[in-house]
Amino acid sequence: MPDRGPFSVVGIFDSAQLLMKAIPEIKAKVPTRLESYTPYPIEGIDKLLGLKKSPIGGMVLVMGIIGAIAGIGFELWTSGWDYPLMTAGKPYFSWEAFIPIMFEVTVLFATFTAGLGMLLLLNRLPLFRHPMLRSKSMPLITRNKYALAVEAGGAELDVESVSRIFKESGAESVEVIEQPEPAAPVSPILIANVLGAVVISCILAGFLTYWVTKLFPVSAPMVHMLDQPRLDPQRADSFFKDGFGMRMPVPDTVSHDSMPYLIRNQDYAGDLVNPLPRSEDVLNRGRQAFNNYCAVCHGLLGGGTPSLTAAYGAKSANLVSQKVINLPDGKIYHVIMAGKNAMPAYSADLSENERWAAIHYVRVLQRAMNAKDEDIPK
Amino acid sequence: MNSQVGTLPKSGFPEGLREPPILIGSISPGELDDQVLSHVYRKPPKAWFIAFACTSTALLIGLSMIGYTLAVGIGAWGNNIPVGWAFDIINFVFWVGIGHAGTLISAILLLFRARWRNAISRFSEAMTIFAVMCAGIFPLIHVGRPWLAFFLFPYPNQRGIWPNFRSPLIWDVFAVSTYFSVSLLFWYLGLMPDLASLRDRTLGRVRKFIYSILALGWRGAASHWQHYERAYLIIAGLATGLVLSVHSVVSFDFAVSLVPGWHMTIFPPYFVTGAIFAGFAMVVMALVVVRTTMRLENLITDYHLEVMNKVILTCSCLMGYAYLLEGFTAWYSMNPYIHHTFMQYIAGTYWWAGWTTITCNILIPQLLWFRLVRRSYGGMIFVAVAVTIGMWFERFVIIVSSLHQDFLPSSWHIYKPTIVDYGILLGSFGLFFSLVLLFARVLPVIATTEMKVILPGSQPHPKGGSHA
Repeated sequence: MPDRGPFSVVGIFDSAQLLMKAIPEIKAKVPTRLESYTPYPIEGIDKLLGLKKSPIGGMVLVMGIIGAIAGIGFELWTSGWDYPLMTAGKPYFSWEAFIPIMFEVTVLFATFTAGLGMLLLLNRLPLFRHPMLRSKSMPLITRNKYALAVEAGGAELDVESVSRIFKESGAESVEVIEQPEPAAPVSPILIANVLGAVVISCILAGFLTYWVTKLFPVSAPMVHMLDQPRLDPQRADSFFKDGFGMRMPVPDTVSHDSMPYLIRNQDYAGDLVNPLPRSEDVLNRGRQAFNNYCAVCHGLLGGGTPSLTAAYGAKSANLVSQKVINLPDGKIYHVIMAGKNAMPAYSADLSENERWAAIHYVRVLQRAMNAKDEDIPK
Repeated sequence: MNSQVGTLPKSGFPEGLREPPILIGSISPGELDDQVLSHVYRKPPKAWFIAFACTSTALLIGLSMIGYTLAVGIGAWGNNIPVGWAFDIINFVFWVGIGHAGTLISAILLLFRARWRNAISRFSEAMTIFAVMCAGIFPLIHVGRPWLAFFLFPYPNQRGIWPNFRSPLIWDVFAVSTYFSVSLLFWYLGLMPDLASLRDRTLGRVRKFIYSILALGWRGAASHWQHYERAYLIIAGLATGLVLSVHSVVSFDFAVSLVPGWHMTIFPPYFVTGAIFAGFAMVVMALVVVRTTMRLENLITDYHLEVMNKVILTCSCLMGYAYLLEGFTAWYSMNPYIHHTFMQYIAGTYWWAGWTTITCNILIPQLLWFRLVRRSYGGMIFVAVAVTIGMWFERFVIIVSSLHQDFLPSSWHIYKPTIVDYGILLGSFGLFFSLVLLFARVLPVIATTEMKVILPGSQPHPKGGSHA
């Protein structure tokens, strides 16, 4: 292995004054890069070493502006656009109320840009492999000594002459810092360990997610909210004499917004007339009612669902058949109101208008499913 | 940090106006490290263990009371309509306020180039972080089901809705969490060079490893210091605005509502002043203990304590003005509701709380006009304890006295805290002081790096000579 030569030669100075005096002298004699290490920041040393001005201020400004725009933009978007919500009679885009959070987000973006940008981007920390950290000088530097390093920076470093220059400039002692050992090639054991760690982390994260989302919310005291004396619907309860948790309506109660339906036989329902016009609104409403209530058995296109028949044996009527096409609206209405064969009554689920709108929609389906050649647009 | 280097001319000021020495005797950077950092691996004195036993017991009581609250719900507390906010919000405002002194010392005084802050900044910043941790507990448990508190954050969810950004309560969530994150970052950045010192002088393997990781490989290079100082100064500037905004936002929780006694424009500055006031009292109390038990009298001098006592006195006078203005507003508004509420403060059911506030916050701190009191432990501890009690009661008056008689007389209700309320309050003190004790045990209580900056001869002029 060829000799890699020293990384740097470090001179230790006893006081900040000596260091500051030595920097220009050494800079004049040594062509390579100089770096100083001090226990605390010393004013003016960056100029002596010829360091450029720190760009952190500009970074913070840019990120602060981005934070401000992101903050108020997000607030305006959520409160005025994505889910417009009127509170306290204020307009959707009530920007005045969004200032505090905009400010906080600005400060958050700016400070973390300053802190983490300084550490990670500009100073390249954390870095535990820097050769200085293992030197004998480091404990002196973090305590009370001031160091100046002449760095090789790829070139050959004449240790003898640099040491002599340091001594002449008043350095207390000189230490030669060796190049760090080159990183060893990655061993298969390391790869196996890393992969094992990843797998174990994934399994743990999976269990944790399962616990957090499935088990934690249903454990005590999280479920105590549900644990309260109350009557649940459809449950038995000893509070009432008849043992039912729910109460029956008083006999002869008529539900709100409905008319009594007195027709008992489908034959007499044919005279009922669909009161709704065939407008786009009505058809949309009918489609919604049909899809919500009817389509589960009769199919989205009205032709019935074979899977339902296979599973339960009940054969749903084919609403687009010629037989149903010939039925007047009123007779279809009666089936909705009273049910037929295995079909239960839907009078409680659909409102008066929804029933008639659904019938209009069924007519649309009938026309669509029995389309003729001349229906095709030319 | 070089921004605080003493650039004041040594002469030219008359004797009385010259800054007194900010450390006693002379100390070299090495001796400073020995004095401040050595306690980290010395076995702490017996008093430390006794104190820690007390504080951790208090913490345990608080934790069990919180556990009880979570199990049975917040009906365990004395809160009931119309006093829906009580101990929980009082304690929240109290602890957030305590935190503000730390940021004031570390950030605002840094911008003012007050060199004396360097000795006490680390400790008060730590107190900020611990106080905000204590504060955070209370709104969290006040929501009743803290495991759902993440609903407060705007994340895309199944419900398809967002938090109401026009509500001061959601402003609070953002303000306090930003404040905590920024304080933690600021504290950690200041700590990093000290952690490097600790790394290089610690011998135990485990500790050395921990300090090495925490120091992130800091090596004190000039090219690093250059960015570091700039970033530190910028964060100080941002934290200054932040600290003023945080307690203003806390005051909006009250001022934006329509409750008489809360709906006042003076609330933001009034709250910020009160926060700094209470925080300084807490810092004075803690520093007196720290400097005597850890023998840091040469670094945290009588001058430091005196300056802080002067800040407390200033804040006390400002608080007095705010209280007078509350009375003036009640009178000048000719609004019978505000008038009624103000009379409740001083002559209502909770008149004793109102007068405790006025006595402890306005009357007792006037003792600090005397130099003797400002420089005696007994005097300053007495005032600091009084201010702490007074500021807690001030929040009690603002919250409970204003709420217990609302617009509807049929709802009027006398609030009585339960033992659970007291237990959780005790627990928050336990948490705070346990963390302070642990901090004093494992991390440097004085920012040695910042102190080295202001030692004589530390800042030579590039062209020869020296500033300090």
